[in-house]
Amino acid sequence: MIYKISHKTTYKYKYPVSFGNHVACLTPRTAGHRRCDWNELRIRPLPATRSERIDYFGNQLSFFTIKEPHHELVVEARSEVSIDDEVKPWSDAPMPWEEVAREAPDDRSPEGIEAYQFVFESPRIRPSPEFAHYAQQAFTPGRAFGDALLDLTARIYREFRFDAKATTVRTTTEEVFRKRRGVCQDFAHLQIACLRSLNLPARYVSGYLRTYPPPGRPRLVGADVSHAWVSAYYPGIGWLDVDPTNNLVPSRSHVILGWGRDYGDVSPLRGLILGGRDHTLKVAVDMEPLEG
Amino acid sequence: MISDLLQIALRDEGVYDELSADGVAPRLHWAPFIQALQQIHPDELAKRWSRAERRIRENGITYNIYSDPLGATRPWRIDLLPLLLPAPEWRVIEAGIIQRARLLNTLLGDLYGPQRLLASGSVPAELLFANPGFLRPLAGLIVPKQAYLHLVAIDLARSPDGQWWVLSDRTQAPSGAGYALENRTIVGDILPDLFNAENVSRLAPFFRAQREALTHLAQREQPRIVLLTPGPYNETYFEHSYLSRYLGFTLVEGADLTVRDRCVYIKTVAGLQQVDVILRRVDDSFCDPLELRADSFLGIPGLVDAIAAGNVAVANALGSGLIETAAIMPFLPGLCRQLLGESLKLPSVATWWCGQKYALDWVSNHLDQVVIKPAFPARLMEPVFGADLGKIEKQKLADRLRARPLEYVAQEQVALSTAPVWDNGRVFSRSVVIRTFVLNTGTDWVAMPGALVRVAGDESSVVSMQRGGHSKDAWILSDTPVDPSQSLLRPRNQPVEIRRASNDLPSRTADNLFWLGRYAERAENLARHLRTLITRVRRANRSELACLIRLHSCLDSRRSKLPKKRPATADELEQEIISLMTDLKRGDSLASTLAEVQRVGGNVRERLSLDMTRLIGQMSETVQVEEYMLFVEHSALLTGCLELLSAFSGMERENVTRGQGWLFLSLGRRLERAMHVARQVREITSPLPEEEWPLLDYMLEVADSSMTYRSRYFTTLQPVAVLDVLMMDDSNPRSLDFQLSHLVDLYQKLPRHMPEDLRAVRHALSLLRSFDLETVEYPLPGALPTLSGSDERVRLERSLKELERLLPSWSNNLSNTYFSHARSLPITIGE
Repeated sequence: MIYKISHKTTYKYKYPVSFGNHVACLTPRTAGHRRCDWNELRIRPLPATRSERIDYFGNQLSFFTIKEPHHELVVEARSEVSIDDEVKPWSDAPMPWEEVAREAPDDRSPEGIEAYQFVFESPRIRPSPEFAHYAQQAFTPGRAFGDALLDLTARIYREFRFDAKATTVRTTTEEVFRKRRGVCQDFAHLQIACLRSLNLPARYVSGYLRTYPPPGRPRLVGADVSHAWVSAYYPGIGWLDVDPTNNLVPSRSHVILGWGRDYGDVSPLRGLILGGRDHTLKVAVDMEPLEG
Repeated sequence: MISDLLQIALRDEGVYDELSADGVAPRLHWAPFIQALQQIHPDELAKRWSRAERRIRENGITYNIYSDPLGATRPWRIDLLPLLLPAPEWRVIEAGIIQRARLLNTLLGDLYGPQRLLASGSVPAELLFANPGFLRPLAGLIVPKQAYLHLVAIDLARSPDGQWWVLSDRTQAPSGAGYALENRTIVGDILPDLFNAENVSRLAPFFRAQREALTHLAQREQPRIVLLTPGPYNETYFEHSYLSRYLGFTLVEGADLTVRDRCVYIKTVAGLQQVDVILRRVDDSFCDPLELRADSFLGIPGLVDAIAAGNVAVANALGSGLIETAAIMPFLPGLCRQLLGESLKLPSVATWWCGQKYALDWVSNHLDQVVIKPAFPARLMEPVFGADLGKIEKQKLADRLRARPLEYVAQEQVALSTAPVWDNGRVFSRSVVIRTFVLNTGTDWVAMPGALVRVAGDESSVVSMQRGGHSKDAWILSDTPVDPSQSLLRPRNQPVEIRRASNDLPSRTADNLFWLGRYAERAENLARHLRTLITRVRRANRSELACLIRLHSCLDSRRSKLPKKRPATADELEQEIISLMTDLKRGDSLASTLAEVQRVGGNVRERLSLDMTRLIGQMSETVQVEEYMLFVEHSALLTGCLELLSAFSGMERENVTRGQGWLFLSLGRRLERAMHVARQVREITSPLPEEEWPLLDYMLEVADSSMTYRSRYFTTLQPVAVLDVLMMDDSNPRSLDFQLSHLVDLYQKLPRHMPEDLRAVRHALSLLRSFDLETVEYPLPGALPTLSGSDERVRLERSLKELERLLPSWSNNLSNTYFSHARSLPITIGE
């Protein structure tokens, strides 16, 4: 399966921006069955400088500055990603979840240490007894980790409503929990909060999801969105992905941009500008399957 | 007094007293000091002390207390008596703190690098991963010479058995060294003979070494080094400005710096200049809103990336705050053996990190014996003393610990040692903590031979500058000869430059200097105006009163509007004068203007001489009116105020090097004065009836030009002659011509030219000179205004109005060209 992806972000400013300092996390990650074959960033106006760096979590960050005064910033990331047709949704993780939690601090293998950091609080996710309580409806005593994880994913899918108007990037996870509404990013944060509250390592994954047009209708260009989901660590196998927004296990329809503790570590595009003041933001994602 | 000293020394038998072991005799190393102190008469001591206090106030030595209503102007509190430490004892401390600093540096190198200590289990992974001080964007970056720590502060306390213990480590942006330096100069001034006799180790070499160490961090010769401060509202801002001046580094705020092409630049009035080393006093996570805290206004977007590219060195390295956590303390003895192959020389105060199961259990059962603190300083929480809690509160606390054990540490409370504190001739005994400093020279580690001693504010044993504690100097009594030539500062009465030719003038600083010039001049004009009014309003006849009211109305200008309701009677004018003089709620009052002088002056105090800073400090006190003060007495206050303002402008002229700083200061002053003179002169271009001629006299007084006038025209008041003195006389420093021709000079010296405004100023000057006042027919008393010649007067009036419009626009243009890019704060998007 090969995808051709375009992810276009447009900022329009009310007043001219004299200088901008930006960082993008828009290069698909090569990991497991997914491979980024090609990627480029088209930036208008042309950046004065550009540099790339791999961050602490292994994601590729692109830094750029814009010196010329501008009213509009357009960043278009184009990529080609191939996903191995062999990839299957993970299915079996039989160890009782309590054991996974118990083993996490003691596993001093490089993978174990790396995973363990995702048990702790991060800027946007603070574990709490409330989240633990909610999670325990799925994570009942002695239950197999995999079953419990899928159950929690399904619960969030059932009990929370997708509502793009209910939240913003600044909405706290506690508020999402209270409102029972939000978008993919909120559900991912919530599920991570639940898992971490049970001392289970969980990380935030940023990426894209292929959407299917209604039967008989052509695929709409630009109708896709950037997406976010959750990855939980299971010793021996590794990271198990779940998508609470769609209640499914990501496989060939999900492309990964990067992962981190929460949205703040992998936000697709952020920056600091001089001037500008009020701005509008438009994001258009197009994910075109080339074959398969 | 000394017997007092010894008596109070034994106030509390459970603690170590620094001065005396038995309450009868001083300890051996104190004896000569005590003896010499006794030779000084208590009155003399009191006199010296009050001199020192005045100096502290006037030099603007402050420590800002966030909750204090006095805000940014709280004077630094220092004690006259130093703490004495003998050389052998100091050597033990010195070895201990140097070892500790090395250890902490090595530890940081591993935690931000290969993290072998996590794999081996020597450091629990939780300690790193739950620590908000662990800044992931900094992990794996190359730190030049592995120097994560450039300067470390280590707080020590002495327990009853005489042992020193480490209370805390300050590793990201340690404060206090500058205060220690200032304490030394003050106490050295009060007790010069004792200081010399005691063979006290000097501090200057330490700071010289610091300068050199920072120079070595740079990649090129003659690096540009800046001191990054959070700004004047920070609690230790005084220290930042003091150190920047002392070390010769430019003091900058985040907004003064910008990252371009992965390099850091300082925005100066001459353009962007590359910065090689940043000595920072901004906390880790606030340093880069792009990669660290997005909500920080104190940082420089892109700084982390510039560090990653190896184009700038930051001291201490970003992320060093990680090991300020007390949770690391229980692991240090083991780490010291593992990393340095030595045993830890100086113990930490007993510390339990609740993140360890056994520690949590022990702490929960022994809350009586410990103080609970946040494990990570980023979490704000007041320490809780377990012994103060009731049974239920204790249970609640234990529950809190169990809910989030990683976030708490418990520490044993050390019974702090006590030292004598002098207070107005009486002596008290107070608990002390000493803050020591260790410097990484790049090849070696050295300790500052001295310390900032912090003293509890009352009899409690809580030592906190934020809670109003005092500080002391610490004298290390050397047993080898010290070189007395190593003095700290140049003599204070030498002229101090605002800017050296090699020093960069940040745009923000230029902005403040410009407004310092404008406000100081505005205050001077206002004070003269008010004094002219006050001395006359009571004995004015009807027509004189009308003139005074008209003079008052001259304060109404394009820039500043007077209240709509104008005074009509003498009483009303009196009320208005007092309001204009003292009302802080009015932006146009003298009191507000002086407050602005103090504010902008405070923003650039590292650029001003101590004398200038002192004058600014005194100014606002001069217009504080006592409740039952007679109206006429106000004029004496104004005279006092004018003396200070004149002294200030005198220093501006005579004691300031003609660098860019002076240029902007002068531009501000000249533009402001030109605005006032133009406004006043316009008032008398229209013909005055004879009964209003006293106004001319008042005008001359306001413009401080009465003498000039009399020397030319004796006592006869002639409108045309007054106009000449105030407008055309290029030898009168108050005249319009004088302001404009100086503006032409100043505009020519600007680092980047403003050709259009220079042309406009020149044009205004030649226009002014084109008037022939003798043809400006001014009606004489009794005569009706003639039609002929009035054209010239109308043209004059029109030109003055035009000039009044132009002057503020020139000021705005300067602002836009030189200052504005320093003013706009970056806005975060996409977060």
